[in-house]
Amino acid sequence: MWRSYSYPYVTVLPVLVVVALFTIYPLVYSVHLSLYENVLTRPLDNDFVGLQNFREVVTGFYFWRSLWSTALFAVMAVLAVTLYGLGTGLLLNQPVFASALLKVVVLLPWAIPAVISGIIWRWIFDGDYGVLNGLLLASTAIDRYVPWMSNTVTARICLVVAHVWKQGPLAAVFLLAALQVIPGELYDAARIDGAGRWNSFRFVTLPYLRATLALVLIYETIVAIATFDLVYVMTGGGPADATAIIGWYAYTEIFRFLNLGHGAALAIIIALLLGGLMLLYMRALRWEEVY
Amino acid sequence: MTARRGPEAALLNLACLLLAAFILAPFGWMLISSLEGEAELTRRPPVFVPTPPTVANYAFIFTGRLPSDTARHGIFVWQTSYEVRLLLPALKNSFVVATAVMVANVVFGALAAYSFARLRFRGRRSAYTFILTSRLLPAVAVAIPFYAIVQGLELLDTHAALILVYLAFTFPFTIYFLSVYFRHMPPDVEEAALLDGCNRFDTFLRVVVPCAVPGLIATAAFAFMSSYNEFLFALLLTQTIKAQTMPVLMAAVATNPAVSHALLAACVILAIIPPALLALALRRYLTQGLMTSIAK
Repeated sequence: MWRSYSYPYVTVLPVLVVVALFTIYPLVYSVHLSLYENVLTRPLDNDFVGLQNFREVVTGFYFWRSLWSTALFAVMAVLAVTLYGLGTGLLLNQPVFASALLKVVVLLPWAIPAVISGIIWRWIFDGDYGVLNGLLLASTAIDRYVPWMSNTVTARICLVVAHVWKQGPLAAVFLLAALQVIPGELYDAARIDGAGRWNSFRFVTLPYLRATLALVLIYETIVAIATFDLVYVMTGGGPADATAIIGWYAYTEIFRFLNLGHGAALAIIIALLLGGLMLLYMRALRWEEVY
Repeated sequence: MTARRGPEAALLNLACLLLAAFILAPFGWMLISSLEGEAELTRRPPVFVPTPPTVANYAFIFTGRLPSDTARHGIFVWQTSYEVRLLLPALKNSFVVATAVMVANVVFGALAAYSFARLRFRGRRSAYTFILTSRLLPAVAVAIPFYAIVQGLELLDTHAALILVYLAFTFPFTIYFLSVYFRHMPPDVEEAALLDGCNRFDTFLRVVVPCAVPGLIATAAFAFMSSYNEFLFALLLTQTIKAQTMPVLMAAVATNPAVSHALLAACVILAIIPPALLALALRRYLTQGLMTSIAK
């Protein structure tokens, strides 16, 4: 078994088989599903309908509403996570005493399930007994308890806060990795050239971070658009579909309306959308220059 | 860089402390909530120091014993929250699944990653690219086919189904991470071992593995955590407490509108102990691992 010519194949095969089983077959199956009528409540109608599922999905009112909610959430979440990650990364890179303490706890939110993060923040934002309301009332910032999760604007913000808390640490560690390889002499040189703090950040730190920032932006966009766990436990897509982002919308299409054809078409649209976004990012950030 | 002093250092320290507070405060509030009775917890303004702290919530989860002050705030919440009694079996399911995924990643993942890193063989590049790009498919896009596969294998509502699916999700990162890791190790000792007549497997086991322990620990922790934390497929592929993992149970408990928040808080604390301990104990390996994974 460990003969040299077969060794690489024997070791690679188990991994390859598992990954292939859950990649190739699902792709083919999804495309197939999306081209046929397939509603679980009408099991006998199973005709080939071409692109009709796609047409029905993209002309649907809820699809566009959900795209809008997704775009809003993704823009807010990606910006917030990246800025939070950058700020945290910069702080972690400072040689001060409290930065060592921060290093110990920073990964904690990342390590726990998103479901739990959602439960924790929902309880903090709770309109009846939430600690946020309690604190704000005590500091007289509000004069009565506010139902944060029942208003479309504040519900979206609550979701972003929970998302940033959970997702930010990873971005911070990634950016810290990039910060640590910037040669210190560059800062000395910048100082000699008369650069202030902002200019050395702008002309030394940022250019060095560009490749990592690009990766963080791409990765966080994928994560934000696919957000499901948080929506499930925090808002259930509400209020008034304000947080029904596309992953949640696809889930309800499949499991509430039991329309597998629509669900598969929607899934393919999401995959294409993400692929297109990644290409756009790479072009905008001039990937070739970066690598 | 040298240590900073003066007002600037004070400001930076303050910023670090505020950030640490933002990270820790939600955990702290959950802990406080879990030590209060339901009546104390649903008071306005909120009570920050439970007087006296009670372990009744934890006792109920472990033993099903109703707290002595039930009469005071009604037995109703406890009855409607009876699902929390399933937390321990759900945690057990999570452990079984996550441990299996972890072991398989360390064994099969490491073997394959080493071949990708060091050996030349037909199809190496395409197999590697295929495994890595497979993760670009969004999870919700493959939800229905995954269900179909698992149903076809007659594995619905089993640990095996979740283990298989999580392996498909964790292998790509493991392969990427460990092959980068192995490639960064100096090849001299391996070559010496091969010259001395060790075959590839012996070299891997006796020479590479002992040197790669930090990387393997990080791999194990990543695989364990991502399986322990996964929700969407656990929700889809399980139906009963026979296989339901902790996130599925917690979501069910949390979305129950009549749930006792004090009980829920106790559940949260119990559920996050394992990953939080892992994150604290393996902090250096995880940070180093994450940094390696992006540094190329």
